[in-house]
Amino acid sequence: MASIELRQVSKIYPGSTAGVKDIDLKIEDGEFVIFLGPSGCGKSTLLRSIAGLESINSGDILINGEVVNHVAPRDRNIAVVFQSYALYPHMNVWQNMAFGLRMRGNPAAEIDAKVTAAAELLGLTPLLQRKPSALSGGQRQRVALGRAIVRDPQAFLLDEPLSNLDAQLRAEMRLELVRLHRKLARTTIHVTHDQVEAMTMGDRIFIMKDGRLVQQGPPLEVYANPADTFVAGFLASPPMNLVAGRIVADGDGLVFAAKDLALPVPAAYRCAYAAWAGKPVTFGLRSEDFHAAPNGAWSSPVSLQVEAVEALGPENILIGRLAGQQVAARLSRHYSAQPGKTVTLHADLAPMHLFIPEDGKVIPRPRAAPAPLWGRT
Amino acid sequence: MRHFGLHAGLWLAVAFIILPPLWVLRTSLVPENMAYSTEIFPAFSLENYQSLFGQKRFGTFYLNSIIVAVGSVIIALPFAAAMGYAFARFQTGGRFGRFLVLSLQMLPPVALVLPAFAILRSMELTQSLTGLTIVYAALNIPFLAWILMGFFEGIPVDLEWAAMTDGTTAWGAFWRIVLPVSLPGLAAAGVLGFILSWNEFLFALVLTGSKTATIPVALASLQTSNGIQIGKVSAGVVLAILPLIVASRFIQRFIVQGLTFGSVK
Repeated sequence: MASIELRQVSKIYPGSTAGVKDIDLKIEDGEFVIFLGPSGCGKSTLLRSIAGLESINSGDILINGEVVNHVAPRDRNIAVVFQSYALYPHMNVWQNMAFGLRMRGNPAAEIDAKVTAAAELLGLTPLLQRKPSALSGGQRQRVALGRAIVRDPQAFLLDEPLSNLDAQLRAEMRLELVRLHRKLARTTIHVTHDQVEAMTMGDRIFIMKDGRLVQQGPPLEVYANPADTFVAGFLASPPMNLVAGRIVADGDGLVFAAKDLALPVPAAYRCAYAAWAGKPVTFGLRSEDFHAAPNGAWSSPVSLQVEAVEALGPENILIGRLAGQQVAARLSRHYSAQPGKTVTLHADLAPMHLFIPEDGKVIPRPRAAPAPLWGRT
Repeated sequence: MRHFGLHAGLWLAVAFIILPPLWVLRTSLVPENMAYSTEIFPAFSLENYQSLFGQKRFGTFYLNSIIVAVGSVIIALPFAAAMGYAFARFQTGGRFGRFLVLSLQMLPPVALVLPAFAILRSMELTQSLTGLTIVYAALNIPFLAWILMGFFEGIPVDLEWAAMTDGTTAWGAFWRIVLPVSLPGLAAAGVLGFILSWNEFLFALVLTGSKTATIPVALASLQTSNGIQIGKVSAGVVLAILPLIVASRFIQRFIVQGLTFGSVK
């Protein structure tokens, strides 16, 4: 069992822009956290630094409160599952899983018992004598997991373990990993660039960009309150709609205006946004906050020039232009429209956000819906 | 029928390559005085082989060649492996280091043979198998390191990382994972080194004596003032080629079989 803490950790590769800068974070014992970010954002570098496979330039890495900067990987008792699985090609499944235990000098009987148990847990028993080359992608994935589990490490570090699997298998393994975590209750860091994995698997998400930590928090909390336009765009598909415009004072209230568009700002946010009256801002609203009919106290009709409709089955995504800028609206499968037509949708403005155009940072406002966000168990 | 032209061409090429060695084999198996006969196979005789192993002490030279070739590979391989690994994984020496290794291969052997002779003479190792083995090992190292570097570069670093988190040291990861996985590469490099040493003539001529000659030198000595003893030369060539044929089969098997397949993705 282990808590993991990073203090001001930096890793810079000479002659390269990659790496991580000034990372501060704390992962509690038994927590399942996600490192999320686009490729090259430094999340894998951070993972390898925690495992001890990369040395860091500055800062401290603490496991269970102890600085482990100069502790060798083998003495950190952390298991890593690599994106490539990294199975030892000259060993069969049993030997792959037993390798870590043998290196640590466990007695043969204990190794046998542990490997058998892990193989049972992951459904690998019939495959124990096979070489990795004789396994399918999903089976290799499970062997890599098994190799990590048998050692009973303090923490699991998973480096994009699902990215090489096809969509169906990925969905299965997603559930499997969550189930395993519930069973083993070990601290787990899962690195991914997939927002579905990020939203569904972890207790908390750490979102990274260009080697820096941009935002952290429970998935729904981050989803509802993105710290900047990057997070707003990255954490959903289609990404949050962003419309450039300005805030205008209108009597007592405020209005977001862009070309022919005028959206009243909900009363609860007036104080927070008052200082921005007359200034350019970026308006953000998620695609699911457009509705076919009025919905909520701050519903406002908008005219959408439909350009394309993506019929996904359970829902239709309307892609069109609002005040001349592209937006996507997620509507039920019963609602559709002809491309080229203009339709009236109803935007629920309660979850809206405003961002500063220069740096993309969110303009702080009171929380929209506090209660249901904490319902995760 | 469509492939007839192609196959005919290929058979022609095969004949072109394989007929001379076949003729050598034929010449080695007929009596010396019939060697230049126009008949395809005038008479069968093992007298060339008997004479080679008898009065010409070919067995000794054969053994010399094996000792020198195997010995030099055994000495060179660990150094070459370490060097190739350092180049591949740690970029030791950078591009200049790699160029330096390659450039050693471009030196004409004649430029090296005299210094080698001078050094060995001061160590009193001329005319000895030990001296020749050491020189061959030195000549083999850069070449083998270059081959092994390519092999090590093909091994994903993830494998070593996995081993290190599994409880090995960096050295342990090399020893238990990288080396076994690159066994085909080591075998291929070893066989290539063996072939190079086996065929080498110039250094062997300069650095060995009458008792320590290797096969190429012994073969050359069959060109006497009384003319070339073509029957014995043919028999010697056949014997010299045999291990190479075995070696090429071996190397082919190992190079074709990609052992890393299945470890990743």
